[in-house]
Amino acid sequence: MSLKRAALLLLLGGAVVPAIAQQIQLPVGNAPAADRTPPADAAVRPKVDESALRYFASQGDTRRLEAEIARLRALYPDWSPPADLFGPQSDPDLERMWKLYAEGKLSDVRSAIAARQATDPSWQPPPELIARLDESENRRRLINASDAQQWSTVLRMATETPGLLTCTNVDILWRVAEAFGKTNQAQRALDAYTYLLTNCNDAAERLATIQKAMPVLDDEQLKQLLALERKDPQGQPEFAPIRDELIRRRVGKAAENPEYVVANDDIARLEAIARAGDTPGDPMLLGWYLFRHDEASRALDWFKLALDRKGGAKAAEGYVLALNSLGRALEAEPIAFEWRDAAPENGKAYLDVVISLLTASPPPVLTETVLSRFSPVVMRDKYVPGAQALGWYAYNTGQLVVAQAWFQTALSWDPNDEPSSYGLALTYWRLNDAARLSALVQSWRGRSERIVALVDPQLRAQLEARNLQGQINRGTDPLVAAALRVTPPPANAGASAAAPAYAAVPTQTGFQPIPARPATAQQFQPVPAQAAPVRQAQPILVQTAPAQTAPAGRGYTQPANYREAAAAPRPRAASGGGSARGGGAAALSRGWRLMELNRPMEAVAAFDDALRTGSGKVAEEAAYGKSLAYMRKGMTNQAQVAAVEAPQSPRRAMQLTADILAQRAYEFYKDQRFVEALISLDERARISPEQQDLMMLRGWSYFNIRDYQSAERIFRALAAQGNTDAMNGVTEIEFARRLYKRE
Amino acid sequence: MRPSRLAGLLILAAALLLGAGAPPPLKAQPMASTVPMEAWNAYMGRFVAENGRVVDTANGDISHSEGQGYGMLLAFLAGDRSNFERIWSFTRTELMIRDDGLAAWRWDPNATPHVTDVNAASDGDILISYALARAGAAWNNPGYTEAARKIARALGAKLVVKSGDRLVLLPGVQGFSADERKDGPILNLSYWIFEAFPILAQLAPETDWTKLGVSGLELLSIARLGPAQLPPDWIAAPARGPVTLAEGFPPVFGYNSLRISLYLLRAGIADAQILDSFRRNWLVENGGVPAIVDIPSGRVVNQLTEPGYRILGALLACALEGTAIPQELRHFEPTLYYPSTLFLLSWALLVEKYPRCL
Repeated sequence: MSLKRAALLLLLGGAVVPAIAQQIQLPVGNAPAADRTPPADAAVRPKVDESALRYFASQGDTRRLEAEIARLRALYPDWSPPADLFGPQSDPDLERMWKLYAEGKLSDVRSAIAARQATDPSWQPPPELIARLDESENRRRLINASDAQQWSTVLRMATETPGLLTCTNVDILWRVAEAFGKTNQAQRALDAYTYLLTNCNDAAERLATIQKAMPVLDDEQLKQLLALERKDPQGQPEFAPIRDELIRRRVGKAAENPEYVVANDDIARLEAIARAGDTPGDPMLLGWYLFRHDEASRALDWFKLALDRKGGAKAAEGYVLALNSLGRALEAEPIAFEWRDAAPENGKAYLDVVISLLTASPPPVLTETVLSRFSPVVMRDKYVPGAQALGWYAYNTGQLVVAQAWFQTALSWDPNDEPSSYGLALTYWRLNDAARLSALVQSWRGRSERIVALVDPQLRAQLEARNLQGQINRGTDPLVAAALRVTPPPANAGASAAAPAYAAVPTQTGFQPIPARPATAQQFQPVPAQAAPVRQAQPILVQTAPAQTAPAGRGYTQPANYREAAAAPRPRAASGGGSARGGGAAALSRGWRLMELNRPMEAVAAFDDALRTGSGKVAEEAAYGKSLAYMRKGMTNQAQVAAVEAPQSPRRAMQLTADILAQRAYEFYKDQRFVEALISLDERARISPEQQDLMMLRGWSYFNIRDYQSAERIFRALAAQGNTDAMNGVTEIEFARRLYKRE
Repeated sequence: MRPSRLAGLLILAAALLLGAGAPPPLKAQPMASTVPMEAWNAYMGRFVAENGRVVDTANGDISHSEGQGYGMLLAFLAGDRSNFERIWSFTRTELMIRDDGLAAWRWDPNATPHVTDVNAASDGDILISYALARAGAAWNNPGYTEAARKIARALGAKLVVKSGDRLVLLPGVQGFSADERKDGPILNLSYWIFEAFPILAQLAPETDWTKLGVSGLELLSIARLGPAQLPPDWIAAPARGPVTLAEGFPPVFGYNSLRISLYLLRAGIADAQILDSFRRNWLVENGGVPAIVDIPSGRVVNQLTEPGYRILGALLACALEGTAIPQELRHFEPTLYYPSTLFLLSWALLVEKYPRCL
């Protein structure tokens, strides 16, 4: 096969192109005799077949007659037309054959020849007739083969019948060039187009040649063709009408491959015609080009226009991607959802948008709609990154039980998904579920350092150190980087962190969607919509919670003037229970009053009453109040449990979570569990920016694990803003370093 | 395989070899027409367009490589050089467009482009090559012989494939092989035109056409499925595993398979074992009338009473039992393309080999 092919190529390489050059009589009439290889019997004057000539003459078909005379003269320079051209035909049978030929009835001519030969074995048809027949049949066959994409046959026909390759058969030349292109012989395709533009004069055909060549040739080759441009009678460059199409081609190519950039003129021109037109194609093309060249906001306008002009799925995809990359995923979501089934790309765009919403930092407040229509898609497709993202969203908004369910769901589909396992491990850590945390850690030992580091302070410290090492060269904000690297956000986060965009969204009901049907029942802890399982979990927490036994009143070991900051963070002003009615409403307002009187433990009892008897808004308020009460007493684990006793609105849940984590960080610090303090700070940093007091806490935590480099970086950064405590920190570090040096 | 069947196959193989060993027909030899000119003209008038297109009048007037091949073979058997050339001209120009040298199988007058399926159909290619080879030899036309050789070589290269111990004829280039279907290869035993194999063996000796014939006969002897013991139109014949009905095809002994007895007889293979199931079904159970038979139940779906089908039964009765052809089948009246074709092919065989039944 390959041998055959090689032979064919050789044949074509050697024959076709010269053949093109040889066979074609240029309308100008310069005889190609000079560069034609003389036939073997050149000395003998060849017998010229004049039967076609005679037939055309008898028909009075002067156009064909003249063409035939010109053709014969080109072939035989010494020949001149016979004098008796218009005399009577001597062979009516042959005349009939020519007539059939002229009518295009090729099978009839073949049949007539065979019939005559059957009766008269000595009769031979004129070679000219056979040549014309072969040519006409091969012409049809070539077209049929080209229509059926049988490119080798196309080239074989062209090779067998090079006489076809003339300016009168421009369509054939195009098809042959296309066949060269389709068989990876672009250079030969270029030769064919070049021949055509050099020799053929029909303006429309010349223009069409460029259009035909566009999908076949690369830019460089096309440029060579364009160099053959002529001026039309008005002096205009003849290819001007397809200049726009060439621009589209260039832009289209560069839109697919961001490495290519087109000239600004091209973009300006395309923008002008896109605005002037009313179809979605040009706006869409501009959208994709600009989007892929990091101009999402310009791209967005064009995608919008394309969408308005009914550009369909592709326009919607671009619009969604552009919005998403501009950090406007929340706006993109409804459109993404609407088009999600239009094409696989649209489905992917939808998933990407929601995942980037779910994993944004800090987590945006999402409406019920966004979440409730995303969960079924995730469940249907068993889409691991989707379940994981829902897990992170729940986690980051303090809905730990829901987070646990989603991470477990993700793992039931893919047990080796490390980010989901990490999320689950963090969730256990936050729930103080030491038993399950250690079981999970066990299964990831040797496979994920960051999971193991959750129970291994030493490894944790190593990771911190290593991360810092990495950061020195990058010069990023050490705080953010540390948080991101040691407790990195899930896979798809980080695309955008445009928090302000979400702030305007009205808070809706809490995020409650949980996996509808657990894939594997054993693995999956069924989590009903209400808070029942949290109560079940409570005993475990009580058993393992270390903080509740922390000796009260133990001060920080580090500088005294820091002590003041160690007070529990001020809770937000309670929103009051004014709207609460019936059931737990009275207990709820009693709880808030007790809080105002700074009697938090009595308030806890009141809030418990409210939780027991109330539901909905009352329960949410009560759970919130209870966790604030615990926090005021420094009982963060209890506060955390209380926080999940009733569903909280995402915004409040986030606030609560941030407060609880800050409080835990303080407590760990107090207990000299500095690495755990850092983990708490990292976890908090995911959902809320770190204030100066917490940065100081972080700095001192680093100081205490003798990570002076990290500590110094923080202290110096804060000192530069005039923070005097931080200046003390810097001094302490210098002192400590001298101390160690002396040792 | 039971010894008796093996023995039977050996005999069949001998029959095929005998065919191949006969004096080479590839030389000019004047022959008497076996299709009467009058009948052929009637066929031409009804089914062959001026441009040489053989029209399948029962199938939306489409054309196919098989029809073109039949047309060329009949033109040859009628000794009609002129119309042979006419049909070949169309075939070459419109169907012989595949890169691999085989014919595209389906041509639709109402579609643009006309070729609506560029896949090949091996029986069409065999018929075209076979007709060209015979015409080339008989009419001393080297062009025909050369064209026949090209097709035969392409057939051998693309459509004759090994399948375990067998050599099989794929029905088409795409869609039937063991690579493409898990129950593959999918075969159609009526594509084995046994009479052509000795000729193809001379045109393309690099392919073992004799073995292809032996495999075909072996498959015919084991593909007698269902209560009626008839070969289905389409079978799944994996290299290892039993021959079964091919999934996705009608489970019938139908318009394809009913020409098998004709092909066997035309090739001079009068094997009683294989032909017996045809005989039983047509001659014993259905009063001489071939029928479409549902393979799983063995029930007759449709009796085929047109002369073109009935003559298949009459030919079988003649070959096996010496029964004379009934009077009403001695006159050709074109009906539809396919039965009319079968009629003339049967008639040609009767004229050539069984004049005693006429």
